[in-house]
Amino acid sequence: MTALALWARRYGALIRNAWLIDLQYRAAIVLWVLWGVVEPAIALGIWWAIAGAGPVGGYSRADFARYFFALTLVNQLTLAWDSWYLDRWIREGELNFRLARPLHPMHEAIADNLAYKGRTGGTILVLWLLVAALWPTVRLAFDAERWALVGLAVALAAAMRFLISFTTGLLAFWTTRATAIMELHAGVSLFLAGRVAPLALLPPVVAGAAAFLWFPYMLAFPVDLLTGAVQSGGALARGFAGQIVWLLLWLLACRVAWRRGIRRYGAVGG
Amino acid sequence: MHFWGMADAAAILADRLSKVFRVKVRAPGLRGAVQALVRPRYRAVRAVDDVSFRVAPGEIVAFLGPNGAGKTTTLKMLTGLLFPTSGRAAVAGYMPWTGGSAFKRRIALVLGNRQQLVWDLPAEETFRLNRVIYDVPEADYRARLDELVELLDLGGVVDKPVRQLSLGERMKCELAAALLHQPSILFLDEPTLGLDVTAQEAIRHFLRAYRDRHGATILLTSHYMQDVTALASRVLIISHGRLLYDGALDALVARVARTKRLELVLGDGVTREALAAFGSVLDFQFPNAVLEVPREAAAATSARMLAALAVVDLSITDPPIEEVIQRVFALGAAPPAAGEAP
Repeated sequence: MTALALWARRYGALIRNAWLIDLQYRAAIVLWVLWGVVEPAIALGIWWAIAGAGPVGGYSRADFARYFFALTLVNQLTLAWDSWYLDRWIREGELNFRLARPLHPMHEAIADNLAYKGRTGGTILVLWLLVAALWPTVRLAFDAERWALVGLAVALAAAMRFLISFTTGLLAFWTTRATAIMELHAGVSLFLAGRVAPLALLPPVVAGAAAFLWFPYMLAFPVDLLTGAVQSGGALARGFAGQIVWLLLWLLACRVAWRRGIRRYGAVGG
Repeated sequence: MHFWGMADAAAILADRLSKVFRVKVRAPGLRGAVQALVRPRYRAVRAVDDVSFRVAPGEIVAFLGPNGAGKTTTLKMLTGLLFPTSGRAAVAGYMPWTGGSAFKRRIALVLGNRQQLVWDLPAEETFRLNRVIYDVPEADYRARLDELVELLDLGGVVDKPVRQLSLGERMKCELAAALLHQPSILFLDEPTLGLDVTAQEAIRHFLRAYRDRHGATILLTSHYMQDVTALASRVLIISHGRLLYDGALDALVARVARTKRLELVLGDGVTREALAAFGSVLDFQFPNAVLEVPREAAAATSARMLAALAVVDLSITDPPIEEVIQRVFALGAAPPAAGEAP
């Protein structure tokens, strides 16, 4: 069997197991979907009310609707919970048997992440298509080239957010507060990644500072690409360049954190 | 990475292994908490200190020691989970922490207090996942699973959700999950922890059978002396990170136990006081009594007592192994060689 076939079987088995576990908790699936919808729905409600008197920063009510629907979908497709899993694996000794297997624990995390996206992201996609069928305002023009670029941007953002979450989780090798750091990151990303408002509405100083960080590239850029807010070739190139540079930097950070962390691992439990 | 070549016949080799952990120290109370926050202080704890031993292929060796003695830390170094602070190790010819997948396919690690079975799914789902992870061909998987189900008496268990299994059934399934890739070296940390006597015996029986069938090498830690006496041909005794003894259990008893026990069934009229003239009376519930006498005087004392008192039955035994081990810990150093006064 080729190496590729072996890896396909391994990922298939890991994703299958993740889904089997999910199916034990059907209520949890509904809660996760609700969780993914509520935050952008509230943000949209607020901006919808504000934009009643006229466009805000060039965004009309319809623009806000398209933005937050696109955000809901992209957020689900790029979300990563891995720091919470990893933190538990490390602090409670669940990493032990994973380290004793001939499979880097990161593969299980990636497979869980894909399984999660297949489940919740898939549900959100169906919801989005239903809403778009009933409410023409949120429909997006179909352009194969743009959708292909969106697909690429979402994949890069998903990889980056996975690495951010995994690397932050690895901090559990040093601190018991790794998930608190991830909470802080999530708080900052509310503003700098465009979760509560399009980045175009941020004060110019904040938006300028955000452009030097990874936040816009993990969410706002693929969302703007999907809604059509990114039009110029320059903006497109800057967006992808930012994604690739930050992806590589987080990959490097992840490798360094893993190598150093594993050397100081206390292997809890005995 | 292969280590020291294959010329070395030992299945497990530990050479001056040490592990030092850095532990944060904090004075009690609010002031201590603030101090620890502002200026944390650390203390080096030597969990494993210069431990060397070797285990031959097919051998079953037990690691004994009180909680925190360094048993599990040593096991985790030998399986590559922990990097040693100093020293070397070779397991199945590999250096554990750089051995990679090839090394991990040769070993199994079962931690009694940490399970790999997925709680919400039947154990068989974990078995299937491991089959793919270890790349075991389907036919081999079926044959091995059948064998493990038979040896561990797991019929009707593997398809029930793990959360519905008893502790004993779960441990048996843990063992099956860890052995489907047919490892040649097993590291078992407290494999019978918390199990009832029947389940403990079933696990022991299985481990012996597995070793006999597959020639596997087993290094296990346990708090239960029955595990040790029933399974291990050799014991490693560790305390405060230092290896105190490496050898056969019988030899340890001969070296460390200063006394023998005379278990007696007494005839009419023999009193506790009369018995006390021959040694210290550990138990007296007429007609049964247990007398402790100096080891070298056991035969002579028995002869004198038989001549002087009405004794129906007499047998000479060693003190319980737990007491012997306790004595080794109390000595806190290598037990004296045979013949030396302890």
